[in-house]
Amino acid sequence: MERAADATDQFPGPRATFDRALDGVKDDVLRLGAKVEDALERAGRAMVERDSDLADRVRWDDREVNELQREINTEITALIATQGPVARDVRELLALYHASAELERMGDYAVNIAKLAQQLASEPETPIFKQIPRMEQICREQLRAAMRALVDISEDVARGVCKRDDEIDHLYNSVYEDAIQLMAVAPERARQATHMLFAAHHLERLGDRVTNIGEDVVYLATGQIEDLNN
Amino acid sequence: MTPEAEHDPDGGPTIHLVTTQHALDESEQISPATSGGVPPMTFADDDVVFELDGLSCFYDQFRAVRDISLQVPKNQITALIGPSGCGKSTLLRSFNRMNDLIDSARITGRILYHGVDLYADGVDPVEVRRRIGMVFQKPNPFPKSIYDNVAFGPRVAGFKGSMDELVERSLRRAAIWDEVKDKLKGPGTALSGGQQQRLCIARAIAVEPDVILMDEPCSALDPIATLKIEELMRELKQNYTIVIVTHNMQQAARASDYTAFLTMGEDRAGYLVEMAPTQELFTRPVNRLTEDYITGRFG
Repeated sequence: MERAADATDQFPGPRATFDRALDGVKDDVLRLGAKVEDALERAGRAMVERDSDLADRVRWDDREVNELQREINTEITALIATQGPVARDVRELLALYHASAELERMGDYAVNIAKLAQQLASEPETPIFKQIPRMEQICREQLRAAMRALVDISEDVARGVCKRDDEIDHLYNSVYEDAIQLMAVAPERARQATHMLFAAHHLERLGDRVTNIGEDVVYLATGQIEDLNN
Repeated sequence: MTPEAEHDPDGGPTIHLVTTQHALDESEQISPATSGGVPPMTFADDDVVFELDGLSCFYDQFRAVRDISLQVPKNQITALIGPSGCGKSTLLRSFNRMNDLIDSARITGRILYHGVDLYADGVDPVEVRRRIGMVFQKPNPFPKSIYDNVAFGPRVAGFKGSMDELVERSLRRAAIWDEVKDKLKGPGTALSGGQQQRLCIARAIAVEPDVILMDEPCSALDPIATLKIEELMRELKQNYTIVIVTHNMQQAARASDYTAFLTMGEDRAGYLVEMAPTQELFTRPVNRLTEDYITGRFG
């Protein structure tokens, strides 16, 4: 009896193992990005809502971010060691490796913001500078776009991400001015002003890390290293 | 491209291939050719050992290699890579007229060696092969002593100096002296595969060539013997120009300075897709065909 052709009759192709592993790494980097985005959203909300418990959970959950990043590094190291990737493959693995390191650092910024939220919650209440939630929102949007650019290897989206960093820098400068002014007119609120200034600083740094991922995507797509942080 | 090439003022190899001088006239000036849409790599005139100009190789009516134009730079390792049957070995063998030994083989286009047309009338193929040595896929020492394997070529060429010194120098350059110095009278065929291949390299360099062609020199060797040959190639390039055909892309990536990628057209003729510094070709190849081949998407 003639055996029906099924999937097992098909030679999987010379790259099947590599492609499967690469897809696995991409999925993990996307999961890492989603975790960091979530941490950032909760840290920002904890600050606005003076929710110390929520901030605590952000700090606690950062262990998962660190663990996932280590897993990704191990996977990528093994792929480089065993598969001998070249050309776009090696650029892609290096971009994913670097992106996961940047995401881990962004997770740390979210933790720092959560800590500041707890300190603010322990001080007499002061309205949060309105630029801070806005910065946090833009950072998340940029992060999401950078993740999409990375997975789709979209140079255009990556360049757009880098461009938008100017908006964050502008908001940070504005927080800086407001903080100085608050300290001048209400010296008793100097601590709160300083906490908010630091939070804005962490968000500004976080934006730069997102830009770094954008640069990685441009390198991945074109093979050219460009500084898009200016 | 005139007979002045015989008197190289820079002290490079003196070219005495031609018994009847062959000078190119103005109408034969080499035109810049492109392959696969990628502009060909060019080097300073003094650094060019081979210049291929629209080279095609045929076996009877079958065209094995089509219209290849490229330059091979001096004292560098140039790797030829590409899928089986794309004409890499045919191309390599055309560099020292080894294909002449096959009745049906012929070429069109030109190969200039230090500016001299290798296939011009009056060029002595034996002298060509002395200057442009070859190491083959399978180590093929003569069934003679280690010493005689190395001394054979110089003897045939009428070498007049100290043969002992020449043998020792050649074996040292091939990084095998320490392993064989106490058994020079022993048979070359008794050595390990890796040692035999280094003996063949010693044999090739004993006649003081200018170029060493290597056709898959490590395909029969284990990884350690392979790495030894690759290290040796790096040493040898101080004095020689090396062209290597390899199926092993990691070897091309590890061991060569420049890589040329060939593939086959629908007519099964091999053609040059892209030649670039190895580091560039393996990190950001220009041509999609190259990318697909080296990443295993095709081939």
